[in-house]
Amino acid sequence: MSERKPRKQVVLLRPVPGTSVIHELWAGTKLLVVALIGVLLTFYPGWVPIGAVALLIAVAAMLARIPRGVLPTIPRVLWVLLALGALTAALGGGSPVLSLGSVDVGLGGLLYFLRVTALSIVLLGLGAMVSWTTNVAEVAPAVATLGRPLRALRIPVADWAVALALALRAFPMLLDEFRVLYAARRLRPRDVDGDRRNRLRRWATELIDLLAAAITVALRRADEMGDAITARGGAGQFSAAPSRPKTRDWVAFAVVVAVCGTALALELTILGTSGTRR
Amino acid sequence: MTSPGPKSEPRRTGSLRPVELAHAAVMAALCAAIAIIAVVVPFAAGLSLLGTVPMGLLAYRYRLRVLITATVAGGIIAFLIAGMGGLMTVVNCAYIGGLTGIVKRRGRGTTTVVAAALVAGALFGLAIVAALAVLARLRHLIFESVTANVAGVAAILERIPNMQGAAERLTRDFGTVLDYWPVLFFLAGVFSITWVSLVGWWALSKVLARLLGVPDVHKLEPSADTGPVVPVPLQLRDVVFRYPGTDRDALGPLSLDVQPGEHVAVTGPNGSGKTTLMLVLSGREPTSGTVQRPGAVGLGKLGGTAVVLQHPESQVLGTRVADDVVWGLPPGVTIEVDRLLAEVGLDGFSERDTGGLSGGELQRLAVAGALAREPSLLIADEVTSMVDQDGRDAVMSVLSGLTRNHRTSLVHITHYNNEAEAADRTVNLTGRGIADNTADVPMVEKADVHPATAGDDAPRGAPVLELNGVSHEYGLGTPWAQTALRDIDFAVHEGDGVLIHGLNGSGKSTLAWIMAGLLEPASGSCLLDGRPVSDQVGAVAISFQAARLQLMRSHVALEIASTAGFSMYDQAKVTEALRTVGLEPTLASRRIEQLSGGQMRRVVLAGLLARKPRALILDEPLAGLDGASQQGLLQLLVDLRRRERLTVVVISHDFAGLEELCPRILHLENGVLAATPTAAGGMS
Repeated sequence: MSERKPRKQVVLLRPVPGTSVIHELWAGTKLLVVALIGVLLTFYPGWVPIGAVALLIAVAAMLARIPRGVLPTIPRVLWVLLALGALTAALGGGSPVLSLGSVDVGLGGLLYFLRVTALSIVLLGLGAMVSWTTNVAEVAPAVATLGRPLRALRIPVADWAVALALALRAFPMLLDEFRVLYAARRLRPRDVDGDRRNRLRRWATELIDLLAAAITVALRRADEMGDAITARGGAGQFSAAPSRPKTRDWVAFAVVVAVCGTALALELTILGTSGTRR
Repeated sequence: MTSPGPKSEPRRTGSLRPVELAHAAVMAALCAAIAIIAVVVPFAAGLSLLGTVPMGLLAYRYRLRVLITATVAGGIIAFLIAGMGGLMTVVNCAYIGGLTGIVKRRGRGTTTVVAAALVAGALFGLAIVAALAVLARLRHLIFESVTANVAGVAAILERIPNMQGAAERLTRDFGTVLDYWPVLFFLAGVFSITWVSLVGWWALSKVLARLLGVPDVHKLEPSADTGPVVPVPLQLRDVVFRYPGTDRDALGPLSLDVQPGEHVAVTGPNGSGKTTLMLVLSGREPTSGTVQRPGAVGLGKLGGTAVVLQHPESQVLGTRVADDVVWGLPPGVTIEVDRLLAEVGLDGFSERDTGGLSGGELQRLAVAGALAREPSLLIADEVTSMVDQDGRDAVMSVLSGLTRNHRTSLVHITHYNNEAEAADRTVNLTGRGIADNTADVPMVEKADVHPATAGDDAPRGAPVLELNGVSHEYGLGTPWAQTALRDIDFAVHEGDGVLIHGLNGSGKSTLAWIMAGLLEPASGSCLLDGRPVSDQVGAVAISFQAARLQLMRSHVALEIASTAGFSMYDQAKVTEALRTVGLEPTLASRRIEQLSGGQMRRVVLAGLLARKPRALILDEPLAGLDGASQQGLLQLLVDLRRRERLTVVVISHDFAGLEELCPRILHLENGVLAATPTAAGGMS
């Protein structure tokens, strides 16, 4: 019908269909790896660690056979903003300076900008890889297993894991309800009441109305869920399959540690790019 | 009715109770959803302010431990979808929500909020400064990058005449500010936390005011009795139950015996206390009379009492079928999941996601979860009322086999006469304590399946809605692509009454959304009076299954005026709209939360019809209503169609009683119209 390409729908919390080595990794391994890499990159955001993590992600994506179609449509505004940022950063100059004939171009600013952009993309890709390859049902049991040592500190990890499992169960239902709420709002004609002078107030009332409807529905859902839990005699088991690492998880973890360790060593010695000296 | 106020019972310690757990989980999901939208959708960051409200509500109603649990759960979900930004948003929402909620619970005012927010903001600012001090390399990278951007802007400014001064000042001032970054970030932290707290406080107060009178639908209480679990044989003698704060008995006086292995059906009109009986059987103390059991009730315990409830979707707790069967079993207990699933006719379902199951399958799964506890007493409360015909038959065959295969007594509460026939014994609740207007409600007989028909009682008018080769696919271009509709061709004529019948997952809701213009079909066209309906959203009215989601304003009059597009001060029009749907004009001043389910549907209809829609689409209009409300609503719709020649399209998985409203039936199966009806008036 229309000429423009429709925007792709965002699919949440559903792994890419099929199975692979990456799909079958224990969810706890994936969460640990993401945490480890996250810490590495926030402490040492140099080109070498960023590149090493990008390489890991690329290999994992290939192993998991992630098709290109998973990438969401990037709104044009974002491209424009990126281009604007790159342009101003490039004009900012700074060392190193590239000499093209008679013109000296300072690349320093542009390089900083590119590094920040690359860092953001790598961090987003890392999280996306977990969502694309993990069944949500495996997340909460993995959190319970990972958090077991914290129980010694009297931290209620079991409660957290159960609540996480229930929240993941409620999440798609709430999203559906949001969709209906939004549609119902679209169906309405423009409000004829309300003074035009005070647009902000009208807008605020509208927001509270929407929020009140969403919360009423959520409260009802929570009450019913509470009844369902009571009917089962309270919380207890919440996963039929055991949740613990296997041999391949240790291998994957070793690979990640090796790659990240090497990158860190290089960053700290000969290829450091994230130092704080100007 | 209860207010959503702070729970007044003494502060508890220890593990979360079921209600606390459920509220923490649902509010966590809500907050995570808001945070994700705020992070992912460009320019929606302001939405994250709203995320403080669900968290504030939790802090207001429950102890701190519940809020922390919700923060962890919501944070992990937001992290999985939106990364670090999502996680930080949820944590912030919980921080500020917790602050406003606790201030609210203590009954303090805005001054306290400002003071608390200043302190909280200072702590937050210090935390940010400390984090940035530790993450020196990240700080350096970000500062240098932003400096480059500023220098670039300055370089552009320099080329503009008369702007050299500004460019110089920009570079110099920015450099100065960066030199004092700890001060800058500290002040920004204090300012933002204070501001967001005030907005959150305002929103929480407004929402709490709106939530006054939201009914607490939570019913079951965890059994408090100890000792060995032996719920049957059970003897009820002259049992009367009256809910606190009401002035009439909801149940009884009633005497009833349940023997081991017995199948008892309980029938009775709405309001006769069927659900109240379920509560008493599952362990609530009656107001008067005696309940005798050999041991403890053991609700949900091994060998105790199990309950299967009415709503299929909300009693399933696991994301995967096998997880749901074991949910809540004590640690260490192992059961044969596959054998239990086979027994309820769900062989091979164990790895499936529960989200994709139909109502009937979900109810059978709930039965499997109950059987995992080898209960001595199983109570089924209206388990088939929200399930389609095939689902009902399957659930009934599972239930009626139970007492043969297990040492389980079954109490089946139903409002369908023919379902009671399978029982050894039927108890009919007379409903002595109930109000007069609902006393004589006839029991609902299930309608038989009708063949696709094309007969019509009125000559066809001009086509209103035309669907030509409509196909739709969700997630187009992604690996999750899923076809919902294929090559749908049909037309709805002026004054038509069409039933689009299909089971769960047949694509009927997608079709409804397309016909209302809310969804643009992937291919083909849906035309209203010759123009794409998606360009005329609102011209075709649609009433969703969840009526509550469609009622946005606080009061009935406001709601109707807003949906219909006239002024709320126009009382005559509001009254007229209410009268159209058979409601008293006095209802206009009622709060939305005080309406019954049937009244909510009617108020939605009143608003929609007052706008004179070209057609009215009703998605499962009868779901969740009791017999009397169903018949009343149907009669109203039939009258409207006759009198006003209203064009009606009903989307339903059921036929019961719809034949008069919808003489024309279309069957939708797996996204395809099953048999093309040969209409007398001809199809366009």
